[in-house]
Amino acid sequence: MAAMAWRLPTQLATPGKLHHHNDSKTTAYQSSFSWCRTLAADHLLPSSSSSSSSSRSTIIGTNTRRLVRCTARAGVGAVNLAPGTPVRPTSILVVGATGTLGRQIVRRALDEGYDVRCLVRPRPAPADFLRDWGATVVNADLSKPETIPATLVGIHTVIDCATGRPEEPIKTVDWEGKVALIQCAKAMGIQKFVFYSIHNCDKHPEVPLMEIKYCTEKFLQDSGLNHVIIRLCGFMQGIIGQYAVPILEEKSVWGTDAPTRIAYMDTQDVARLTFVALRNEKVNGKLLTFAGPRAWTTQEVITLCERFAGQEANVTTVPVSVLRVTRQLTRLFEWTNDVADRLAFSEVLSSDTVFSVPMNETFSLLGVDGKDIVTLEKYLQDYFTNILKKLKDLKAQSKQSDIYF
Amino acid sequence: MTVAKAVISSSLSNSSTSSNTYIMYQWGGQRCWRPISLPVPKPNSQNLTITTRNRSLLIPRASGAPSESNNGGSSSKTKTKNKTIDPPPSASSSGNEKIDTSNKIQEEQEQKQKQQRRLDLVDVNPVGLGRRSRQLFDEVWRKFSGLGQISRTSRADERDALDALLIREGPMCEFVIPGAQNTTVLVVGATSSIGRIVVRKLMLRGYTVKALVRKADQEVVDMLPRSVEIVTGDVGDPATLYDAVQGCNKIIYCATARSTISGDLYRVDNRGIYNLTKSFQDYNNKMAQLRAGKSSKSKLTITKFKSPESVDGWEVRQGTYFQDVVSSKYDGGMDAKFEFTFTGDAVFSGYVFTRGGYVDLSKKLSLPLGRTLDRYEGLVLSVGGNGRSYILILEAGPLADTSQSKLYFSRFSTKAGFCRVRVPFSSFRPVKPDDPPLDPFLVHTLTIRFEPRRQKAVESRTGVKQDPRSFKLILEYVKALPTGQETDFILVSCTGSGIEPTRREQVLKAKRAGEESLRKSGLGYTIIRPGPLKEEPGGQRALIFDQGNRISQGISCADVADICVKALHDSTARNKSFDVCYEYIADQGKELYELVAHLPDKANNYLTPALSVLEKNT
Repeated sequence: MAAMAWRLPTQLATPGKLHHHNDSKTTAYQSSFSWCRTLAADHLLPSSSSSSSSSRSTIIGTNTRRLVRCTARAGVGAVNLAPGTPVRPTSILVVGATGTLGRQIVRRALDEGYDVRCLVRPRPAPADFLRDWGATVVNADLSKPETIPATLVGIHTVIDCATGRPEEPIKTVDWEGKVALIQCAKAMGIQKFVFYSIHNCDKHPEVPLMEIKYCTEKFLQDSGLNHVIIRLCGFMQGIIGQYAVPILEEKSVWGTDAPTRIAYMDTQDVARLTFVALRNEKVNGKLLTFAGPRAWTTQEVITLCERFAGQEANVTTVPVSVLRVTRQLTRLFEWTNDVADRLAFSEVLSSDTVFSVPMNETFSLLGVDGKDIVTLEKYLQDYFTNILKKLKDLKAQSKQSDIYF
Repeated sequence: MTVAKAVISSSLSNSSTSSNTYIMYQWGGQRCWRPISLPVPKPNSQNLTITTRNRSLLIPRASGAPSESNNGGSSSKTKTKNKTIDPPPSASSSGNEKIDTSNKIQEEQEQKQKQQRRLDLVDVNPVGLGRRSRQLFDEVWRKFSGLGQISRTSRADERDALDALLIREGPMCEFVIPGAQNTTVLVVGATSSIGRIVVRKLMLRGYTVKALVRKADQEVVDMLPRSVEIVTGDVGDPATLYDAVQGCNKIIYCATARSTISGDLYRVDNRGIYNLTKSFQDYNNKMAQLRAGKSSKSKLTITKFKSPESVDGWEVRQGTYFQDVVSSKYDGGMDAKFEFTFTGDAVFSGYVFTRGGYVDLSKKLSLPLGRTLDRYEGLVLSVGGNGRSYILILEAGPLADTSQSKLYFSRFSTKAGFCRVRVPFSSFRPVKPDDPPLDPFLVHTLTIRFEPRRQKAVESRTGVKQDPRSFKLILEYVKALPTGQETDFILVSCTGSGIEPTRREQVLKAKRAGEESLRKSGLGYTIIRPGPLKEEPGGQRALIFDQGNRISQGISCADVADICVKALHDSTARNKSFDVCYEYIADQGKELYELVAHLPDKANNYLTPALSVLEKNT
């Protein structure tokens, strides 16, 4: 197989860099997304430094693009779990708790009676709202693997809904960090690991984030951890910021003419279904895809927003081809690589896919009534009726700052 | 700059050609802006140039102008709005679209001159220009690159605004309860397995939460959400409870004794509840006095037998149900008296040997001015005696014409020694079956009747069997219990299953005594008796709500916490005690009653239907 050629034997990979304090920092620049890393050998047995932790691929060709490879090799994860104090099944760790989905997960978990610990990055303005709700906040950074193990002590289930910030390199958190997290989880005997991925991520290897998610899925599956992988399509909460708010504020809305349809889903529903799945033993090790009741194109969403807002939007339609060209342009320069990664979804947008799956099977598996899932119409209607007034207030406040046009 | 915008937009709406000239003229003052001043109606070609980054000044016009010119005709509404919020000079012209065009142009020219003066001062500053252009570039670039995302809220400040709307207090949040913002809940036992979850649930729903803890050490503080107000105190010590109840609207009591030692049980499960209800009522009364009124939660004293004068006005009567020869033939005689003894008790005592005979003690009620019983939902009597049962009779009807009065009765039993009896108005039945149900508003006379029928034989303390036809009733007070919509005090008690058998009696005794003191406090109460508690997530299994100590299963702490929080605003939960546990199949031969299971979920309010079938005042 051609793919096999790119994979280096794990034994050849940079010996002597296995102390976990400097491991991932050094690998951050050139290692590939290979999910066949051995699991946490370095974290468990720091003395056995001859066994490697990460396989790498060399720089391919003249192009300095990172190369992503998925190779089918089972991870070596024989971890001996010493018996100790039993962890309470209600103790969970939420990674990425400040995110759009993460905070809903935290709320749902708290409401269902879990003891929630949140792993958040140290930051000047700490995530106060999580503490206010009653979660425990621990500071750690996925890109600094040495900070991870302490956060996993006494945890039964890890729910990972973290993703890198848009402005930072896509790989640091989403790949390096995730691998470190899964390795730690395995090493520390975490009993369940929930990972959120993207729908159809296996079909779009050209998009870095999707490729990474797919590799992480594979890595998790091979880790031997008891896991649930949940693939998501799109969040309704994203629509608010992207379309609804600009329409209300009479700003121009930027949309593409892509025919791609996305089955948006309310993050509150995602959180609810996640916990149903989490407690369902039949779902262990399965890959679920959550999609909303209907798939929408960008244009349809904008039309819907216009209808509920009662005013027309200043739509600026950008053809997908423009996005693609931009992406190609930005790829040319080293310093715009991150931008290129962000624009990579244009490849998905232009491929005329439908981001949706029939949910009947999932519903029957989870024992959930599909009617309870919020539709986009309902969601947007609620939003516009409830928040129109509040937004007007906000707008009045923010009017002073909008002096440029 | 807003002024400049107004000029452009208003002139655009007049005629596009003139607008161009104006803009040219206006912006002509600044060299570098000239090429972009023409609103090009083809935005996309312009946008492409963004990527080269070397003409960042292009972007403002590229983003602003197309949107203006694209729907120049259609969105005149938007434009008028723009104008109305403009500074005064344009405001005069903007309100009226019919003003002569030439007029308008004149005004605009005036504006322009002003504008130019301003531009000179502020905008020629290269630092300002650079900063603004960078802002503009960022804005456009953010939107542009945001297109590549499937869905992600990208900007920090936008996110904060969204959070505030969608998650923290906005109506879009699934947890938000309308009255929560104005409600302060005191959670007693906030560190217990139920209390911890109760606190979190309350925080999620936007309540203000106070937590009563015995010691506010670091471990406890860490366990509770940060914005919870922690009050140090002990329910066993009434003096410490004063601070705890300050500002509280409702109390959730999920504390329980840490051991089964009688002293602990008495202090927490029995006396603790009494102390807390008392402090809470005291606080309510104090607040009511500040408003120069009466607390709507305090009881209304109808009579209190404290002095020899207090027995005045009470009449003792006797009578028989049958007025026939046979009964008079067997007349053994009856006698009764009501007196204030030298020991300070008001005692109603006597005997009724006559078959079908009874003795009454009655009085016309004299309520304080402005008080009627329709704001109360029952009577509570504090009585002592030898454990007979009595009939309470209320006479209701127009005061002017007592012949129209209707009689309503309710039976209550006492026990040997002192006890408090709670008689809700809903338990009164009309003596004549055709009469309408009791309207407390019309009640004018209260009667306590003793009759020898249907008396249980009660062993006296000495073991001597008493004659059930003699009675002694020591009256302490009669008070009316206030009515209300919602529960004020939620108590998590227990069913008794799951406690080690040797101590079960003691535990239950203390818990029942605590429940009892809550019931007679006048506060709206909800007493939840869960089965053995399990530490697992809630919402998984259906629940059974029942009364009568029949359930056999456990329940998760989270479900109990959820019931507590749901009961806060549920009128069906007021003044109810109920058992709750997981759904189960009744054992063979024990399925005498129907089990109705309710699945807890966010979508359905399971508590109301579950509780509406249960008895009140239990």
